[in-house]
Amino acid sequence: MADADLVVRQDIRSAMWNPGGWKSLLTFFILALAWLAGFSARLFAVIRFESIIHEFDPWFNYRATHYMVENGFYNFLNWFDDRAWYPLGRIVGGTVYPGLMVTSGSIHWVLNLLHIPVHIRDICVFLAPVFSGMTSMSVFLFTKEIWNPGAGLFAACFIAIVPGYISRSVAGSYDNEGIAIFALMFTYYLWIKAVKTGQVFWSICSALSYFYMVSAWGGYVFIINLVPLHVFVLLLMGRYSQRIYTSYTCFYIVGLILSMQIPFVGFQPIRTSEHMAAAGVFALLNAYAFLRYIQNFLTKAEFRYFFIAAVTCAAAIVFVAVVGLTWAGYIAPWSGRFYSLWDTGYAKIHIPIIASVSEHQPTTWVSFFFDLHILVCAFPVGAWYCIKNVNDERVFVVLYAIFASYFAGVMVRLMLTLTPVVCVLAAIAFSKTFEVYLKDDSPKSSQKGGDENGDNKNDRLYDKVGNKKKIRDDKPKDDEGLGINVKSIIIVALLMMLMLFAVHCTWVTSSAYSSPSIVLASYGQGGSRTILDDFREAYYWLRQNTHDKARIMSWWDYGYQIAGMGNRTTLVDNNTWNNSHIALVGKAMSSNESAAYEIMRTLDVNYVLVIFGGVIGYSGDDINKFLWMVRIAEGEHPKDIREVDYFTPQGEFRVDSAGSKTLLNCLMYKLSYYRFGQLQLDFRSPAGFDRTRGVEIGNKNFDLTYLEEAYTTEHWLVRIYKVKDLENRKKLKNPHKPIRKSKRKSLRGGKKVGVIKNKSKVVKGRKSKTASASSRSSKSKK
Amino acid sequence: MEVLYGIPFTVLECPNLKLKKPSWLKKPSPMFVFAAVLTSYFLVTGGIIYDVIVEPPSIGSTTDERGNSKPVAFMPYRVNGQYIMEGLASSFLFTLGGLGFVILDQTNKPLMPKLNRILLICFGAGAVVIAFFTCRVFMRIKLPGYMQS
Repeated sequence: MADADLVVRQDIRSAMWNPGGWKSLLTFFILALAWLAGFSARLFAVIRFESIIHEFDPWFNYRATHYMVENGFYNFLNWFDDRAWYPLGRIVGGTVYPGLMVTSGSIHWVLNLLHIPVHIRDICVFLAPVFSGMTSMSVFLFTKEIWNPGAGLFAACFIAIVPGYISRSVAGSYDNEGIAIFALMFTYYLWIKAVKTGQVFWSICSALSYFYMVSAWGGYVFIINLVPLHVFVLLLMGRYSQRIYTSYTCFYIVGLILSMQIPFVGFQPIRTSEHMAAAGVFALLNAYAFLRYIQNFLTKAEFRYFFIAAVTCAAAIVFVAVVGLTWAGYIAPWSGRFYSLWDTGYAKIHIPIIASVSEHQPTTWVSFFFDLHILVCAFPVGAWYCIKNVNDERVFVVLYAIFASYFAGVMVRLMLTLTPVVCVLAAIAFSKTFEVYLKDDSPKSSQKGGDENGDNKNDRLYDKVGNKKKIRDDKPKDDEGLGINVKSIIIVALLMMLMLFAVHCTWVTSSAYSSPSIVLASYGQGGSRTILDDFREAYYWLRQNTHDKARIMSWWDYGYQIAGMGNRTTLVDNNTWNNSHIALVGKAMSSNESAAYEIMRTLDVNYVLVIFGGVIGYSGDDINKFLWMVRIAEGEHPKDIREVDYFTPQGEFRVDSAGSKTLLNCLMYKLSYYRFGQLQLDFRSPAGFDRTRGVEIGNKNFDLTYLEEAYTTEHWLVRIYKVKDLENRKKLKNPHKPIRKSKRKSLRGGKKVGVIKNKSKVVKGRKSKTASASSRSSKSKK
Repeated sequence: MEVLYGIPFTVLECPNLKLKKPSWLKKPSPMFVFAAVLTSYFLVTGGIIYDVIVEPPSIGSTTDERGNSKPVAFMPYRVNGQYIMEGLASSFLFTLGGLGFVILDQTNKPLMPKLNRILLICFGAGAVVIAFFTCRVFMRIKLPGYMQS
């Protein structure tokens, strides 16, 4: 809030007397404050809990970073991880965006070079908050290019505290997005700069920044589509110029080559449909420029025909080429994730694994208001100003706004790409409104230049109607009277709103976005706090009490955490690259115990881990996710698993006695509720009362035949089961040679004793006489 | 060169063709673009895509303890769920707030009588303030703990 206030003050001052020194000092001061505010707003989780990595994906990133710091960059690039996706393994170096790891690794390296020993974990935890400050810098620069420095300061302050961005960049959420938004906005800033100046320098800079973005996040596709779209729309609007040609061709070629250096991206930029728009626009731009060149040699009439024919041909050739290459298989068609952006029902029907992730759900109005608050109102206003006073770079902002808001509507997760542009446009709206309502207060003396311009315009308008001149003279005086009251009221109202915005942001950050989700906290009635540390308890149990090579089966959400904290081999994890493997695990979870045992034997599973929230009322547990397991399994094994079987005849999913028999006997149900029927939580509810679903469970007394309980954490949140070995063969009725058996026993025992008593030298490949002798002697003793 | 050009035309006869830009195709005015943007923005913030994919009912209903069913406008406690009407209502408020800002800008035109100006300012500011506080009220209904603790 203080920042917003300062911005206003800065506006007044810059208008009143315009010394450059004051201005830059204030700018610097405000930006520093924004950085500080943004940094400290993200520390809730660290202060409340500890310096810890959050959630799921960050655990993998942390593990990879740790590996890179210990083994060096090249070993990291060649890392084959045999502890994930058992028995397939994962080529980590080739399937990861290394930007994040390299960034924190190099920070660590520099700090160590300066003899500041910091653990790599702390760097990972605090990387996102630090980068949020850099993001606000780049948003400031971007807005400054688009509009003016005042709006830029507003935008920097907004992006520093807006919840839509905080949600991905709190301390501890060590994820690609944390640094990618900075790279995104910085690339856009450099691109705008390149379009404005038409210098090769700036477009090369933007290509380099694009390279950083490619190395950091898969969202780089957004840049490589938006920039060509900008160029294309500028062509359509007849705004072609030398500057655009220079900047786009440089950006495209250098950016293309650089982006292909990332192993994970590889040849995608020339082989997949997502990148074809850029190539098409590149061809089109060159054709257009060529035509412009031809124009010099032709007469106007000739050129018109030539132009129309050539443009149609060029467009047709590009289109046919793309379609033909796609058809022939040289260009991969749209991948499912991108395709679901356009055909919104696609993922729901065809790819349950994409639809199952909660952040891929479509957005409701609440998320818009929750993440953007007052900015959501001011956003179209900024777009209005940009459309009204359009120029090359504002076209870009408008396009960005339109596409980002559409994408944000399709997926909650893409709210993140919408947030910066909302901040930019809302900042323009606020800055413009404040300009209007603050500037008029300081009339005549200081602002002669501006007023004169306005007056001149009015004069021109009024010149035609001579006799109204007098009335016009009266008006400004009336305005003064009105201005001081009404305008100040409006300004106060707007400031109030900005203050409430800051309060809202802090509240949302502290209550919604700052839980690490591996340490849970519950609040008692007296405000006392209980920490539920069950996840780490279970993972440390795994680390300490199981064999180093033990294979742990769980649903894919927990794969990274088991690998990161438990250091054990997992079957599936959050890198959901192999749908059929996940479906196999889903099938094991959703079939009955004996069928599941077969699958687990074939997959060589030692332990099964399930998350169960029924005791403490934790809603994100495996029973609530269970339907997705069934759906994913059904997608691959439609004969064995049918979703309908898990519903009651009324089409309800319930775990009480009315639930379907298939559900009450499947492995997931049994593992979650094993021995739960004997547990009475309090006196008001019956035994086996599930607090999450609010029902008494249906199937209470059952035993496990193929698994045994290995460990259950304090609040029953994580339950680990050991898969039993195959049963012994049946005892034979007439045991053969009972005498021999007993002999062997005695022999073994004797050997041991003998070895301990007088140590014998063992020479490899030769029978030692002393050993045999000693064994003989011990035998005789017995 | 001229000869080369002429070769096809010894065989072919040029059709008497006049290509014109169709009259309806012209650069859209800023106001039109803005209206289109605002309409689509209205729909997107109202969660129209959510409505299409998830197909929620337009208004929910609950049964109270006597067994009567009551209509419920807001799906409570769920950030990721909504009914169609609540989405439209709140996106209407967002749009209203936006228009309020635009009106506040429009009052600055030099050619406006004083009364109109005051009325417009009041209207614009009122729209912004009302939209803002109603949104907060909606939020309270949606998440009863909003800004309490």
